[in-house]
Amino acid sequence: MKRDTLRFWGVLALLVVLQFTIRSRLGDERVAPDFLLLALLIYTIRSRPGASAAAGFVVGLVSDALSPASFGAGALAHTVVGYLSSYAKAVFFAENLLVNGGLIFAGTWLRNLIVAVASGKFAGPQLKWELLVWSPLEALTTAAAGVLVLTLFRRWLAIRLEES
Amino acid sequence: MALGADRYATRGDTLAFLSGLALSLVAMSLPPTARDSVASGLRRSVLWPLLQLQEQSEALRTSHARFIEVSAERDSAVLAAAQVQQLRSENAQLRDLLGLRARLGVGFIPAEVLHQASVTNRLTLLISAGSRQGVRPLAAVVTPDGLLGFVSRAESVTSVVATWAYPDFRASGMAADGSVYGILSPSTASGPGGWLLQLDGVPYRQRVPMGGVILTSGLGGVLPRGIPIGSVVGEITGENDWERTYLVRPAVPPGSATHVMVLTQPAQEGDLRAAFAPDSAAGRPRP
Repeated sequence: MKRDTLRFWGVLALLVVLQFTIRSRLGDERVAPDFLLLALLIYTIRSRPGASAAAGFVVGLVSDALSPASFGAGALAHTVVGYLSSYAKAVFFAENLLVNGGLIFAGTWLRNLIVAVASGKFAGPQLKWELLVWSPLEALTTAAAGVLVLTLFRRWLAIRLEES
Repeated sequence: MALGADRYATRGDTLAFLSGLALSLVAMSLPPTARDSVASGLRRSVLWPLLQLQEQSEALRTSHARFIEVSAERDSAVLAAAQVQQLRSENAQLRDLLGLRARLGVGFIPAEVLHQASVTNRLTLLISAGSRQGVRPLAAVVTPDGLLGFVSRAESVTSVVATWAYPDFRASGMAADGSVYGILSPSTASGPGGWLLQLDGVPYRQRVPMGGVILTSGLGGVLPRGIPIGSVVGEITGENDWERTYLVRPAVPPGSATHVMVLTQPAQEGDLRAAFAPDSAAGRPRP
């Protein structure tokens, strides 16, 4: 059990390292997968909503410190996404790979929506482009990365995936 | 909360969620100085190893790109030598290698851009040079193509750059020939290619041709004179018929900037037009 826990945290640590090393090499920064958010969403799959909300707040605060134009908005967005993801996981009770991919897609898009609106820095066409073009693309790449990680490390993450 | 929510979320979960929301709202309502202090504290403590990792990763990528570039230049030089154009080749190669650096002299600090995943990343960027390297607040941040923004906060080894897309960004701009002046600010009109700036306050009798280059004017004493900001792509027809507003496509998209230079010379000194002349770095592959 202890070994499983170590492996689980090892995968999350790997995602954090990927965020700060290879993300900038994966194309346009607006559409490259967000490994930090992915780590949070994978954490929420195994955690209770309260712990997920707290983890979301911490991740959001970190994100805000790195991109200070929207200080606080990232914390708000990640808290909401962390809580809702964990809650939705409990409600849907799904271990399906596609459901998990959909959850990651929705979580990424919702996070961007909340940050864009709460920061108050976007207006008019900029907001539309952000939410209807760039955010869905980023959500798509993040979901694809999530599906890959869940498939590769499903035993380490102790997630039972049904055949989709 | 949905019916039966307590099956999935206990009172403790809800309390943790509400606490997170409350703390987030508190963070959002902090005054700018307090926000900066908290963000700076996090960057200098918890995030410091991760930022170092990112900086090393960027440096590694640059080294690899430079190696390929230098290899390509070497091959070109060999080919030119074979065609008995040695002097010409060496001259071109040296000019290319020196490029902007030679024209700007020693008054700048090179830095890597540490891009983040936030949707607001294009508004403020983190760069890998700080006060220890000589970066000062309000210093202009440029690339070989032109102005990216200015330093809004300088820490010991990193700095925060407010790009031209930041809502509070303002700069005094002028046409390349110095005939027209105006104030540049981010425009709410944007398209798929990126965000635009708008040049306000141009007297109605004065016109800027489409494609005309807009430079910093140096007025205000913050940004040096002569840095390209962008080129005119359109005119906004408004209600005011005593002044014109032009849409300007910025020369430097914040999302694509990977390496920048922080200018250290005082804004009042000189005109930087020559440093950004079309032949200074044009056509040169950049890392």
